[in-house]
Amino acid sequence: MKTTWLGTALMGLIVGAMILVPFVWTGGEAANLVALILVWALFAIGFDLVFGTAGMLSFGHAALLGSGGYALAILTVAHGWGFMPALGMAALVGAAMAFGLSIFAVRVSGLFFSLLTLALAQMIYVLASTKLRGLTGGLDGIAGVPRPALFGIDLYDNDNFYVFIVVVFLIGLGLMALLRASPFGRSLRAVQANEVRAAQLGYNVQRLRQAAFVISGAYAGVAGSLLASLIFYISPQMLHWSVSGDVLIMTVLGGKGTLLGPVLGVAVFELLKEELSQYTQYWYGILGAVFIAATIFLPNGIAGLFAPRRDRDKGEGR
Amino acid sequence: MSILIIGLSLSFLLFLLAAGLTLIFGMLGVINFAHGALYMLGAYICYQVVTMTGSFWIGLLVAPLVVALLGALMEMTALRRVYDRDHIYQLLLTFGFILVIDELTKVIWGLDYKQVPTPALFAQPVELFGSMIPSYRLFVIGFGAAVSLALFLLLDRSKWGIVIRAASADADMAQALGIDVSRVRTAVFALGAGLAAIGGAVTAPLVPIELGMGFSIIIDCFIVVIIGGLGNIRGAILASLLIGMARAAGYTYATEWVELITFALLIGTLMFRPAGLFSVKGRTA
Repeated sequence: MKTTWLGTALMGLIVGAMILVPFVWTGGEAANLVALILVWALFAIGFDLVFGTAGMLSFGHAALLGSGGYALAILTVAHGWGFMPALGMAALVGAAMAFGLSIFAVRVSGLFFSLLTLALAQMIYVLASTKLRGLTGGLDGIAGVPRPALFGIDLYDNDNFYVFIVVVFLIGLGLMALLRASPFGRSLRAVQANEVRAAQLGYNVQRLRQAAFVISGAYAGVAGSLLASLIFYISPQMLHWSVSGDVLIMTVLGGKGTLLGPVLGVAVFELLKEELSQYTQYWYGILGAVFIAATIFLPNGIAGLFAPRRDRDKGEGR
Repeated sequence: MSILIIGLSLSFLLFLLAAGLTLIFGMLGVINFAHGALYMLGAYICYQVVTMTGSFWIGLLVAPLVVALLGALMEMTALRRVYDRDHIYQLLLTFGFILVIDELTKVIWGLDYKQVPTPALFAQPVELFGSMIPSYRLFVIGFGAAVSLALFLLLDRSKWGIVIRAASADADMAQALGIDVSRVRTAVFALGAGLAAIGGAVTAPLVPIELGMGFSIIIDCFIVVIIGGLGNIRGAILASLLIGMARAAGYTYATEWVELITFALLIGTLMFRPAGLFSVKGRTA
């Protein structure tokens, strides 16, 4: 789906304002929340390359997020790596995991892709919590995941670490903007719009899908590392299927197939969670109801509000 | 011997759920992610009725009716609105239902495990071929077989079955012939939900009832439905037997590997025979 020029600018303004909030309201609390939003947003942006742009509903992205997080945790805690090399490695591990899954998953499409990615991710979850106990710490997880040490700045201070996350987020967002506008991004759209026609025009559909999935894996790997580092901890919970569900909810709420939609979706999700959980412990159910309503009435999510009138509410998600 | 009995009872349970799932897929073209949640709801409602009336049999009767009603409601209020959109939206909706149903269950019944006592009629184990078998397991097998048979008669021999099959095969044509397809869709979704709840109610005395039971069963159901071939009820029978027996044997001989082997089976099927192991037609996916 295409948003208007004005709509994109508005969404950019909202996201920009959100990023600036912790700079005004220092003290760590705001920084923590927005940092969480930005890390998840990085994950959602990568997820949407597969879901919104290439049109494949992956139910296995938890495996990619978790493997990145575990890569960073294991390398830094058990092997004494520095944070930055470990972060780079986590991106590679996320991409490699995605490549591994894609060998199986891109052979099938549609519904089967969703089910297969779900099954594969669930298998990784079972493996990490049982068979690979020695590596992953089993259900206890790994505590004490460190934060980076850069130029002698104390990144254990939430306000400082926030700046680091903003930088990583902006780089990720910029790269994704380039990618979506590139011939590669365009051909992914072609695959989503009509798989058969794209193949007839000479595009290697499987290869394109695989590439999208692998790039998405790298994003998830980085996001998983930052998440583990933000909360100093990782457990198989990060591999759980509900993580795949959460990123899906966020992306649909925000608007799939747009650059900034998923970011807004994450913000709404986390803010709803933050607000609702103050009043009721059953916030997740309310969120589910909001999600159902959004699926029916706002198929293009929040970004759909910024689309030209004629494109709205068709639910084609192109 | 006990492996055989446990395997068979597991197989019939899986079949009840998979049949509903595959029926819904055949008619609505959607994989119902919330099927496990409906199964769980069936178990909880059965528990509720048992605590209120003291009779398991009333629970077994009430739970499917309530859940079928809920299923019809889900179809009429939400799913119906997105049929003309991309399939992804239907999947999204059923996923949203999981969240809501799970949360409602938490609100009503809380987080702790619930237990339904084995009905008095089947409380005593019986001796069969030299080993002691819990008689409730035998009841599950018999009951499952009876429900399956009834389902077959309904689909294969009754007028309703013809209507359902016609509407699944070609909805527009059936509509043109005067069948109210949207009502058939509601009915099929309700029927599938009811079958899931029967499965849940029957399982209630066998396992502790808890929130996670929906998700653990749904993966097994997906596996059965895919191995059997989506929309293929006969395939679902064979696949249920395969998975049920494999699980029962696996828990006895190689507990740690059961999950991984079932997943491997699913992945292999999806890759090499996406139309199901028992399909006679060529590849359709």
